[in-house]
Amino acid sequence: MTTPVRFTYGDTDASRRGKNLLAHLSITLHHGTHAVTVPGLLDTGSTVNVLPYNVGVQLGMVWDQQPTRVHLTGNLARLPARGVIITGQVALFPLVELAFAWTQSTEVPVILGQVNFFMEFDVCFFGSQAAFEINPKHKAN
Amino acid sequence: MSLTELFPAIKMLPRADKLRLMQFLVIDLAQEEGVPLLTADAEYPIWTPLQAFEAADTLLQMLKTHEVEK
Repeated sequence: MTTPVRFTYGDTDASRRGKNLLAHLSITLHHGTHAVTVPGLLDTGSTVNVLPYNVGVQLGMVWDQQPTRVHLTGNLARLPARGVIITGQVALFPLVELAFAWTQSTEVPVILGQVNFFMEFDVCFFGSQAAFEINPKHKAN
Repeated sequence: MSLTELFPAIKMLPRADKLRLMQFLVIDLAQEEGVPLLTADAEYPIWTPLQAFEAADTLLQMLKTHEVEK
């Protein structure tokens, strides 16, 4: 068993400092020889992980080389998306493979959702303390 | 004009105008307080893909295939 790592909520809007705290998690994404560290929004309401277009490009991915089409919902439904698998690392935990819906939107944050971020990590929110703790899932022997 | 003088006139208003008056007052007070309001002609992004079950199934299948190919 690993020890959970605690993070505090972060500001998303510098002009509203302290008024717009959200559970953002710093995560390093790896694809091939590329790596980028980004704030990921822990979004338990999101069915899937979402990767904005520009972050995918930073990871060296080429849109036309991603054959798997993914249909998103809500505001993202009007834009095409592709399924991609990326390696992610949180804190000093082991690397995990994360499937993302790579959208053409550059406005959306990196969203960490049910498939498959919350399948790989156990997260406990302490909303009143504006903090959360995270731990890799327990793997049965 | 005082509020006491206004009341009879307000009472005479049709229902729709009373509702408009309420809406006007709520917006006016919110603007004075600096509360941001939603407007009908603006688009507000909600990025969370709720209930994107088809996308979830696709991604889970990709992960399974990836696991087998490793």
